[in-house]
Amino acid sequence: MQRVGDVALFHRTSLSASNRSGVHAFLGILIVWIVLSASLSVWMPLQFSIVTVFVFAGPHNWFELRYFLTRLPVRFGKSRPFFLMAFVGLGVLTLLYVSLPLLYRYQTWSEEEFATVIAIWNSLLLVWIGYLIRLRSKQRRKDWTWTIPVLLALSAFNWIQPDGFSLGLVYLHPLVALWFLDQQLRRTRPTFVKFYRGSLIALPLVLGVMILQTAGAESLNDSNGLFWRITQHSGAQLLPQISSHLLVSTHVFLEMLHYGVWILALPLLTSPGRNAIGAGMTRYSKNWKIGVASHPRGFPRLIFAVLFMATIFVVALWVGFAYDYATARDLYFTIAIAHVLAEAPFLLRVL
Amino acid sequence: MKFILIVICFVTLTLTTISFANADIRAPKPTPATQGKIVLHTGLEIVPDTKSYEARLQISQSQLQELRAALDGIDHNRTFATSISRSSPRTIISGVLLFLSISFAGVWLARSARRSIPPSRFKKAIVIGLMFVATLGVATIVTRGNAGPPGYYRWRSLPKSLSEGKSTVGGLDVEIVPDEQGRNMRLIIPLRKEGGTGEE
Repeated sequence: MQRVGDVALFHRTSLSASNRSGVHAFLGILIVWIVLSASLSVWMPLQFSIVTVFVFAGPHNWFELRYFLTRLPVRFGKSRPFFLMAFVGLGVLTLLYVSLPLLYRYQTWSEEEFATVIAIWNSLLLVWIGYLIRLRSKQRRKDWTWTIPVLLALSAFNWIQPDGFSLGLVYLHPLVALWFLDQQLRRTRPTFVKFYRGSLIALPLVLGVMILQTAGAESLNDSNGLFWRITQHSGAQLLPQISSHLLVSTHVFLEMLHYGVWILALPLLTSPGRNAIGAGMTRYSKNWKIGVASHPRGFPRLIFAVLFMATIFVVALWVGFAYDYATARDLYFTIAIAHVLAEAPFLLRVL
Repeated sequence: MKFILIVICFVTLTLTTISFANADIRAPKPTPATQGKIVLHTGLEIVPDTKSYEARLQISQSQLQELRAALDGIDHNRTFATSISRSSPRTIISGVLLFLSISFAGVWLARSARRSIPPSRFKKAIVIGLMFVATLGVATIVTRGNAGPPGYYRWRSLPKSLSEGKSTVGGLDVEIVPDEQGRNMRLIIPLRKEGGTGEE
């Protein structure tokens, strides 16, 4: 008995020690990533923005798609209305969004009329999210009615300032990745959660320091067409009273957090599937297991075709960036609305 | 986690709402094309100086930046108040939605108190925070439209102050006028007769 007790104690001790080192490594990488991103964002915001979008924009979409596929059930079952609404909304809203620049070019809309069109699109987005929340709350038998006034208030703000609302999406969307990571840690690394949440306190502090550093800085030189695009994307036209240096730095920093979560944190911290445990498999090869593909009733060919197409998209994006960075960037940020939208239903699924 | 994200969202939303609260902005008037365009509202201090040989215009670094930013956006940016005044349908829709939001939040809070399982403090904090931000937003808009006494009130003592060698501080609109109206910079001070109604 004594020996059994000793062995159990030994296992507990070794487990907690490995956990501790894992937590230390995770926190170390997180803090280094935050500080490095913030420093480079403040130091050379435009150049850093160009490089980060070039390198990470495509791959992070690929990893996000793969993550969403792992969260997809083999059979929708009672979730059918939810997924149906999610995919229909995703398709319709993406198509409408992509068609907006074309409509603006070929229609004789005034600035005011176009602002109304943007407000309508934003309202459709909020209605879609509201309906998904309703479906999910019914499924989980939870009372989420408090979200109705929140969505209505957001909608009110949208109708006052449609451009401001869209800019809010640009800045707040990267933070959603942190929420995904939190939920993932709760499932796969519960011991990390406390430390992760604690480390997030660093985020407002770093943002505060960045704002102090760049608030008084001169606006960035946007005489170059590409630099102008980057400052406009960060809201320089909408917020002329704020230094574009601050806006671009903050935006790039948040984007770097977003990329870090999707490309590094989530793939590395996702635990292997139950069927995937094999002696010679590395953590990465285990992570390749996608339930909807590996399940006996799954769709392996379809899923890997989708991932293959996504790989081609990533390579094509790199080629596009290398050939004509400015145009490719415009195209990317228009199409990228799809991944912004997709995060809403999948976040609701993991909550 | 949710709390931190929600706090960041609320702070952003509040900052976005109150960043427009420069206060004491007069209601925008439709101006003919030949007249100037007001690009910035700031403050001006007129200081008599018996030792100076030349009049000087001193502008702080931050004000110069504001002016440059305002001038950069002169053709394609409108102030928040102007955008509201020019788009009444959007303002009406927004007002109705804000009314519905606050009503829903109030009803939800009232009903939640009677439930067997009351909502968490976190949810209550979100709704109360939302109501606070919404009220602040509305108050800011109202403040912007009609804040404090009219601008000329602060300039009423200028002649007396000048004669006594004292400084006077008041509001100032920076207006860009077409070239044909004169080459010199012009400072127009709103002065009213003592005891007048202010309308003369």
